[in-house]
Amino acid sequence: MTELFSEAILISIFAGTVRIMTPILFAAIGELVTQRAGIWNMGVEGTMLMGSFTAYFVATSTGSIWLAVLAAVMSGVMMGLVTAFMTVTMRVDHFISGLGINLLVAGLTLYWFRIYIAGRAQPTFDGFNSVAIPGLSQIPYLGPILFDQRLLTYLAFAAVPMIWFLLYRTRWGLELRCLGENPKALDIKGLSVVRRQYMAVLIGSAMTGLGGGFLMLGFSDRFLADITAGRGWLAIVAIIAGNWMPRGVLAAVFVFALLESIGTHVQVLGLNMPHQIFLAMPYLASILLLMGLRRKTNQPVKLGIPYFR
Amino acid sequence: MSPLLKCVDLTKRFPGVVANDRVTFDLMPGEVHCLFGENGAGKSTLSSCLFGYYQPEGGHIECDGIPVKFNSPRDAIAVGIGMVHQHFVLVADFTVLENIVVGTHAKGWKLDLKSARARVDALCQQYDINLDLDAYVRDLAVGQQQWVEILKALYLDARILILDEPTAVLTPDESERLFHIIDQMCQRHISIILISHKMSEVMQADRVTVLRKGAVVGTVETADATPDILTKMMVGRDVALRVSRTNPADQGDVKKPVLEVRNVSYVAASGKSALTDITLTIHRGEILGLAGVSGNGQKELFEVLSGILVPNAGEITLDGATVTGMPSRDYMQRGVGLIPDDRFREGLIPEFSVQENMILGWQRDDAYTSGPLLSAAKIKENGEAMIDAFQIKVPSGATPVNHLSGGNAQKVILAREFSQSSTLLLANQPTRGLDLGVIEYVYSQIIAKRDQGYAVLLASEELEDLLNISDRIAVMSDGKIVGIVNAQDSSVPEIGQLMTGAQAA
Amino acid sequence: MISTDDMPNGQRRIKVEPRLNPNASWTLAMYMIATLFGFGLTALLIWTSGADVLKAFMTLFNGAFGSQKAWIASLAKATPLILTGLATIVAFRAQVWSIGQEGQVYSGAMGAYLACLVFAGLPIGIYLSLIILSGMIAGAGLGIIAAILKTRFGVNEIISTVMMNYLIVFLLSYLIGGGPWTEVSSSVVYQQSAQIPDAAQLPYLFGTAKLHIAFVFALIAAVFCYVVLEKTPLGYEIRAMGFNPVALAHRGTNIGRTMIIVMAISGAIAGLAGVSEIFGTSHRVRVDTLYGFGFTGIIIGMIGGLRPLGAVIAGILFGGLETGALYMKLLAKVPAAIVPAMEGILLLTFLIAGVAARYKIVRVNTND
Repeated sequence: MTELFSEAILISIFAGTVRIMTPILFAAIGELVTQRAGIWNMGVEGTMLMGSFTAYFVATSTGSIWLAVLAAVMSGVMMGLVTAFMTVTMRVDHFISGLGINLLVAGLTLYWFRIYIAGRAQPTFDGFNSVAIPGLSQIPYLGPILFDQRLLTYLAFAAVPMIWFLLYRTRWGLELRCLGENPKALDIKGLSVVRRQYMAVLIGSAMTGLGGGFLMLGFSDRFLADITAGRGWLAIVAIIAGNWMPRGVLAAVFVFALLESIGTHVQVLGLNMPHQIFLAMPYLASILLLMGLRRKTNQPVKLGIPYFR
Repeated sequence: MSPLLKCVDLTKRFPGVVANDRVTFDLMPGEVHCLFGENGAGKSTLSSCLFGYYQPEGGHIECDGIPVKFNSPRDAIAVGIGMVHQHFVLVADFTVLENIVVGTHAKGWKLDLKSARARVDALCQQYDINLDLDAYVRDLAVGQQQWVEILKALYLDARILILDEPTAVLTPDESERLFHIIDQMCQRHISIILISHKMSEVMQADRVTVLRKGAVVGTVETADATPDILTKMMVGRDVALRVSRTNPADQGDVKKPVLEVRNVSYVAASGKSALTDITLTIHRGEILGLAGVSGNGQKELFEVLSGILVPNAGEITLDGATVTGMPSRDYMQRGVGLIPDDRFREGLIPEFSVQENMILGWQRDDAYTSGPLLSAAKIKENGEAMIDAFQIKVPSGATPVNHLSGGNAQKVILAREFSQSSTLLLANQPTRGLDLGVIEYVYSQIIAKRDQGYAVLLASEELEDLLNISDRIAVMSDGKIVGIVNAQDSSVPEIGQLMTGAQAA
Repeated sequence: MISTDDMPNGQRRIKVEPRLNPNASWTLAMYMIATLFGFGLTALLIWTSGADVLKAFMTLFNGAFGSQKAWIASLAKATPLILTGLATIVAFRAQVWSIGQEGQVYSGAMGAYLACLVFAGLPIGIYLSLIILSGMIAGAGLGIIAAILKTRFGVNEIISTVMMNYLIVFLLSYLIGGGPWTEVSSSVVYQQSAQIPDAAQLPYLFGTAKLHIAFVFALIAAVFCYVVLEKTPLGYEIRAMGFNPVALAHRGTNIGRTMIIVMAISGAIAGLAGVSEIFGTSHRVRVDTLYGFGFTGIIIGMIGGLRPLGAVIAGILFGGLETGALYMKLLAKVPAAIVPAMEGILLLTFLIAGVAARYKIVRVNTND
């Protein structure tokens, strides 16, 4: 057990944490935008899975991982269109439509995957490598943890202040937050609630798709059926635990990623404990986190409530 | 002089109802024109059409003599029409300034609050409005929230302002302030359409257009009109405006106390103190009126007295037995009936049928079950009896309650609570949003219960009604009882003073 | 209201309005269109995989309902699906969005297996009863935890049930993948338990050696759910809670207690599905054979219109689809994974149909 606390291992754990944070962070920040606009997209898990599969398919058929990234984003946009159509236009209950999307994507990706690899060895690709930032990555301890990561990881972290700026410092952000609190206030001025909610959903789903793409391209070289393994759900929990604020979300995602990283290292080190305990940590932590929340909630008032005139 | 705004033969339909039926109406520059009518007469619908929120199916609108078509409120705002809604459309978690600015078309993407602040400050100065622009709307008093709504319209350079039932939620004092602001607006050449059903406000306007069941009955100068004439136009027959003064119940024996409340306090989950040190007593055969504008703790008081909320301090005694802290089920079984102010949200299951709603809360009672199962026969029988007794206009007991009008839905609640309760009746705004005929009926039923020996707590925002019907009146302000008076000896001004007296300072 | 309000200077000729009264034939039409659309999309998916669409559908239906043998297999596959569908219905009618059926299936299987180990040697009738009961209690337990998390701690039930699904699977994977229930053969450790004793196997019906009594339990459960929901005071409270918990609470009903009862019933029925699969069909505990019943149950509950009879019909249909898929894979070379994809498509089209059924299209004359 004490091997866990050696310097090299600790650095590896934290560096792993930063990497593991990336896909969940993309999804969580994207979903935050969607939720602040009043739409509770429960289909994050499915959107992420679609992004992963799309990235795999494009990476192995074209050989270009950057094309795969683009494709993952596009798949997110497509899923966003479906989500927005169901929740904003048809006003189906948000929870049910999201669950439906998760189930649909699980089935579709499995089906396409089986067809794709039918009768041959599973194709693989070369994923992303780390890009060390010159100079900064030489800093002792922090260097390898923060500044020797993949490019998309840097982007994910940059996205947090970017989204914060979007939400709190732009005209558009004020309107978007208004959607989550009282859409009628915009409708009564003749501004289109529908158009704005579509935009919020598309942006959120695009980012989630990107997260799914990175989950594929930045971690392994081949697709597995349930590769997302609940990370989309963790993104949603992170928003609740982070009280719908960008910095809170960042903190919650960090906790989940740290637990997962510790768990992976425990498995690799072959310590004498059932590894399932550590695999289970993030999920257990999320329940405990939610149980402990007693403060004033920032949950958008109209979150999950379809807007009718 | 041509009218500033005019609609000709305007018709607006909704599924199943014609809300506005060939309405012709005009607004002259500089005037205050009142739209007068009962609930459901079509006033709000008409104003929503004039504001561009609804698109009429027939007729047309003219602005400055030119026909216009408002496809959305944006078009109406562009020609200078602004609207202050009866139910405010504000974001509680935004500041005053953010609420005013959101959705207005500033140039570019940046959220520029500086220039907006300067403009709003100027407006506040002009109209003598004292408001902290950085305060969160959720922390403002109701009257102040209305100022934010008004500022929203003025910020967009409104020259025609539509005010929808503006004094419905204001104390007499706040209403005066509002009309002072309206005067200021008139002086600045803003024309006003005032929607109201209160006679006192109507008479302050220049002209009145009376609507009844979606159609215009007539337009008169207020100088030529009297309350009687207007009421007759509104209702279509001669009526006493409200239920007239009733004879007090037989004072023979000393009245026995039914409900005793001692030093009850309640603190909401948010930490806000909703009720502070409430003490009151209601006796057999007595109606205690509860005066005060909504939001001063009335709702919490009703919920504490029916067991829905548990008080943090104090004692409640019912017929001599201590019931503090018991759940609502126990209060119900001890004969307490509750008529909530939000009838569809708190008193009914909208998707259930009338007869199913009749047994809401009593579904496990022997009267409606046989063995472990519900008895469809008993439920149906009970439903039919109630529909008959209370003259509820409905095709059958199996009709879902969300198909009923507000008045008929209220009758369902009345039927249920009247027949299941036996000692205490709690009625919170029982006549809100109902038309005159149903209002008369509801009050007469409540008085009948009082005469049978019930104790009644009746809250209403219509002070004249309370004065006419109650035996005593308790005045609530800011979660406290600030005074209890004898209805016979009191008046609207006195109660109004009590309501605001506690607020000063 | 959906309307073409966003068209500038629009001359609207068609308007979509909410319907005042539900129209049975319009509703039926919407659902038929949804089904056709769903099958159409599925056909498209099959076609893009290069397989023969017509042959695919024919082998699918033949394999599902084309012979007595097919029927028996389909009904056997339908059994756990009907049960999880019913579990979904009980919860969703109360507007408790439990996604925990999946975990409750596992939990039920685990509870039953524990009983099978502990009570071995007892007379068969008592032995089987204890096994079934333990499965139901284990499933109910998980459901009750979720209900308590919601009522006492305000934890959203979707999230708590999804998280618990993962936790239960981890627990099971430990127990049968290195832990005390693992079957250890001479050299290799499998991720499965030992085979259950013969005495613990659920008896078959009519000597079919495939369809077992759990199918009868499923039908009984469906009747039970129907009676409870429509005919009892508890059902009144459950339905009222689904429509307007505020009014129900105001008039004397303890919402927290009702929620716990709902989740206990839902969990018990889902647990029964786990018992059915392990003790009726596969006869040993593995993670992969139990996978998916819960999620498919959600689809079945929704497609069945949240009515017990609907769950039975949808369950049998889906049981047929899954049986037929094996034939389709062999004879038409279409991956069996088309079935979960098809189920997902049907769910979404049915959801849309459900909304569309509440509206109608109206022709409007434009004036001036």
